Amino acid sequence: MAKIRLENVTYTYSVGTPFEKRAVDGVSLEFEEGLLTGIMGHTGSGKSTLINMLNGLIKPDSGRVLLGGEDIWADKKKMRSVRFRVGLVMQYPEYQLFDETVRADIAFGPRNMGLDGDEIARRVSEAAKFAGVEEEWLDKSPFDLSGGQKRRVAVAGVMAMSPEVLVLDEPAAGLDPAGRESILSGIREYCRATGAAVIIVSHSMEDMAVFCDRVAVLADGKLCMYGTREEVFARRSELYMLGLGVPMITDIAHELLKLGVPIGEEIFTVGGVSDSLRRIISERRGNKGKGAD
Amino acid sequence: MHDFVLGQYFPGSSVIHRLDPRAKLILLIAFVAVTFVAHTAGAFILLAAVAALLMLLSGIPLKIYLRGMKPILYIVIFTTIINILLTSGDDLLFEFGFIHIYKEGIINAVLVILRLSLLVLGSGILLTYTTSPISLTDGLETLLSPLSKIHMPVHEFSMMMTIALRFIPTLVEETDKIMNAQKARGADFSSGGLISRAKALLPVVIPLFVSAFKRAEELATAMECRCYRGGEGRGRLHVLRYSGMDVVFFTGGALLIGAVIVINIFLPVYPF
Ligand SMILES: Nc1ncnc2c1ncn2[C@@H]1O[C@H](COP(=O)(O)OP(=O)(O)O)[C@@H](O)[C@H]1O
Ligand SMILES: [Mg+2]
Repeated sequence: MAKIRLENVTYTYSVGTPFEKRAVDGVSLEFEEGLLTGIMGHTGSGKSTLINMLNGLIKPDSGRVLLGGEDIWADKKKMRSVRFRVGLVMQYPEYQLFDETVRADIAFGPRNMGLDGDEIARRVSEAAKFAGVEEEWLDKSPFDLSGGQKRRVAVAGVMAMSPEVLVLDEPAAGLDPAGRESILSGIREYCRATGAAVIIVSHSMEDMAVFCDRVAVLADGKLCMYGTREEVFARRSELYMLGLGVPMITDIAHELLKLGVPIGEEIFTVGGVSDSLRRIISERRGNKGKGAD
Repeated sequence: MHDFVLGQYFPGSSVIHRLDPRAKLILLIAFVAVTFVAHTAGAFILLAAVAALLMLLSGIPLKIYLRGMKPILYIVIFTTIINILLTSGDDLLFEFGFIHIYKEGIINAVLVILRLSLLVLGSGILLTYTTSPISLTDGLETLLSPLSKIHMPVHEFSMMMTIALRFIPTLVEETDKIMNAQKARGADFSSGGLISRAKALLPVVIPLFVSAFKRAEELATAMECRCYRGGEGRGRLHVLRYSGMDVVFFTGGALLIGAVIVINIFLPVYPF
């Protein structure tokens, strides 16, 4: 069963002013446990608005948000527990750090949950591992860390609540390639290890292709594609029309396929394509070797 | 939260939008003065008509003006009650126990309501809604520039104001963002006593200050990199010039002052 489900949700900003803007328009989506879903879309397509509905920061004008089958707006008093179950990491979360030490900051969520000291310590060290927060940072002030390190601390701060649904708004934006790779693999590990439903908003087709099991594409507040990455990236021309495109490597693989190079199915990641190319190259070398005999 | 912000500028290109900001400032001062001079029914009718005409010219929906009046509702109610209960005079209208209501009290209350409403409307029409904060500070700086002759830091003052205005929306947005981020981690801003609520705000206030200081430092560096050295010898990009329309409005303003004085003297009909 889907862990969390959006049913035909709609949201409009600044109703009744000239700045009125329908940011999310009749979107239905569900997120399953143990799966990593990517949400793509142009800037302003409504991604952030949509995911802020998942933990009740934004109340949809119409439609429902169902967590484990229950409407999260059914009982407003339960909203706080919804927020513990649906962890949300906002865009550029490094600005939210405030406590004296990294350890205390990561523990902020679990403390608010009213857990006891041992459990908090256990959660902090577990979350730190997933998010790539190193042991020796834990007793530093968060303000002494670099931008990328702060980002990890912020992600750990949400993971420490052990949410069943983990939502991250552009967790890798503005990081260097190694940083992107490591933070995204940490998130995937969290997904696999805990069986949480994980939702990542991203601009990067490359990251989507490597890390996501499902991909949803938003355009102008509407859901226009949803499926496995194979299904979604197969709709190349539509993606280009939305100004999104497909991973560069997929583009090249398509060209190669047109030329009759049998590179197979794994055309979404650099790793997959280079493996098939290596195989093809070694086959041809082998043939040549035989021919020369 | 966003409505409360000073910068409620409503972009547009109406006659009022295009007036020189200095002209609007001077006209607003004149308008405020004239609402305080006015004390007869005729004068207020004239002022209301002028305000209505200006609202029409500004091309901004009436709804927006009405919404702008909402915050003064409480002040109006409060002062009305105080005025009615505490003003004494010769013309007793109503008596009940210790409550004495005089005609003068009611007249005072009506005057306050009329003046406050006109004030808010006037400043809305002439400044808040139709003048961008930047052109407003430009106007202020130019109007006050004679004061720099006596070593008043007019330029610095207006630069500070420009920067402050520029960053109010940013700070509000950031406060929203940080509050949401902490709410997502289970922070609770709305329950508990005063002290626990104040404590709950720490996770918002600290990051806000940290980033405000960082922003200030970055801005200062960026300004120095572009050789900003204060007002001395500094030219301006937009040089303010009065246009024909400004002259028309100045004339209109002068006529309005004259008309109100004349009506006050020759048509002494009090409200009620
Ligand atoms: N607080 C807000 N007030 C008014 N409009 C907003 C606000 N936040 C977002 N919007 C508008 O809603 C649309 C969707 O925004 P958002 O959900 O942030 O998109 P994304 O995250 O995909 O870039 C945009 O057009 C944006 O301008
Ligand atoms: Mg966004």
